[in-house]
Amino acid sequence: MTVNIAATAASSARTVPRGLVPASVVLGGTLLSLIGLTWDIQWHSDVGPDTFFTLPHLFLYAGSAISGLASLAVVLMTTAAAKRDRTIDPMVGGRAVGVFGRTFEAPVGYLISGIGAALFLVYGLWDQWWHGLYGFDAVIDSPPHIGLLLSISITMVGAVMIFAVARDERWGTYGVAGAAATLLAFSMVTVLGLRALPGGPVNTVNAGSAFFSVMILFMGAYVLKRRGGALAVGVTVAALQAVFWWFSPWATEVYADATGLPLRDYADGIPGLPNMIPMSLILVAVAVELLRGLPAWVPGAVGGVIITGLAPVQRIFVYGSNFPAIERYVATVVAGALLGALAGMLGRRFGHMLRHLAPAKEERHA
Amino acid sequence: MRKTLLGLAGTVALLLGLTAPALAFEPVNVVHTEKVQVGPYDLTVGFSTWPVKAMQSLDFTFAPEDGITGKKGTLTVLHNGVEAEDDPLARHPRKREVWGLDIYALPEPGTWTMRFDVEGPAGAGTGELTNLQVMEQPGPPMGLSWAVSTIPLFGLIALIVIAWRRTRTAVD
Repeated sequence: MTVNIAATAASSARTVPRGLVPASVVLGGTLLSLIGLTWDIQWHSDVGPDTFFTLPHLFLYAGSAISGLASLAVVLMTTAAAKRDRTIDPMVGGRAVGVFGRTFEAPVGYLISGIGAALFLVYGLWDQWWHGLYGFDAVIDSPPHIGLLLSISITMVGAVMIFAVARDERWGTYGVAGAAATLLAFSMVTVLGLRALPGGPVNTVNAGSAFFSVMILFMGAYVLKRRGGALAVGVTVAALQAVFWWFSPWATEVYADATGLPLRDYADGIPGLPNMIPMSLILVAVAVELLRGLPAWVPGAVGGVIITGLAPVQRIFVYGSNFPAIERYVATVVAGALLGALAGMLGRRFGHMLRHLAPAKEERHA
Repeated sequence: MRKTLLGLAGTVALLLGLTAPALAFEPVNVVHTEKVQVGPYDLTVGFSTWPVKAMQSLDFTFAPEDGITGKKGTLTVLHNGVEAEDDPLARHPRKREVWGLDIYALPEPGTWTMRFDVEGPAGAGTGELTNLQVMEQPGPPMGLSWAVSTIPLFGLIALIVIAWRRTRTAVD
């Protein structure tokens, strides 16, 4: 208790807590990536014409560039501090690890977010080559696009790590909820890559959405390890979903007007990315809070069943589409239960792993 | 913090300012056409690439001889006789005077059929572009492309394995 009070007193003595600024820039970059993605998906479905330099694309590039440059700046500053034998504050991105021997000292969180941004550049080239060969298709789940989405996801994982270091500070708590929610929302697009897998009767995308959303929700909840942790992540995802539900079609229409392009005939204006996020996630978060005393696989399985069970209901509600064949529905819900149980256990373990990133309390006291 | 926010706002403003004039869309270049009789209508199907290869995207145009005004219809795409797509005929976003599909790829090689149902002043009609041969996909096999593209995922799994082994004890 004394330790916590001392830590809080130390941080409140400054106007901005140490580590908050670069962490916020990395998170801001990942949010720009998410905004760019939701806008780009909507642009392709409602308007169409595409160049390298559309505004949604620039948001995607800028997001990774901002996160990457912030990560690089922190790594270089940490390296400079280490070379001068100055103490390195582990609250900024976690313990520093040596890179290329000990040429660089990189706080582990910023190392991961920076690697994600660097991979984004590499996969950008791979994507450019792909488009040269296959044409400028608007296929979201082409292999290079999945490579790009995975690269951005790695930056987002880095952002979660950076905030997890400061989990006992108020900004760290909010940051973990924000970074985990951003990763969760973004991953609902990356799972479209699972369409390439043979799933038999199982809807692989729905089952994959259940797996990743349960896992990331649990991870956030177990990093925070307090009542309301899962709910904080769930509510943040719902807030992102609500804002993008309005933003994506609106920004698409405004941008189309500004560039003098008409909307497609039969464009339905239904928000693409926000509709990929399960609306039932908030129910899963409530279930996780209520079933706290049970082993993680139980609420995990419940979460998987809720998400896969209600996914067709969301589609009927939004698109007015038909209910899937009962055999496919049951198979997907069963897969959802199994994957949800696994995701619950993994998410819990990942949460514990992330808690290790925070400096030991004696160190923080010193 | 204020500086950071100003920096972010500046970046966004710069992006907004620079992109509007940079947008210049490729015109639709038809390099091959096929004729289809759709009831009373003569329809020309245009392709921006020929021959068509699986997964390679191209612009398709569907142009009735006397224009699309006052007409509507549906396009059904069939692969080896099985329905793959069924959509209303919409104007091509970059060639608004005709119907079309923009940067659209047929996913599989084989024999494809495009069935047109058109309604207009001269009545309704149905016609098919049959025997549209789609060649094998260009480029490396998909397995290799997927292997290259999922390297970040395997990197992340490797990181998780390392972190897992180093964090066996729980932290309060």
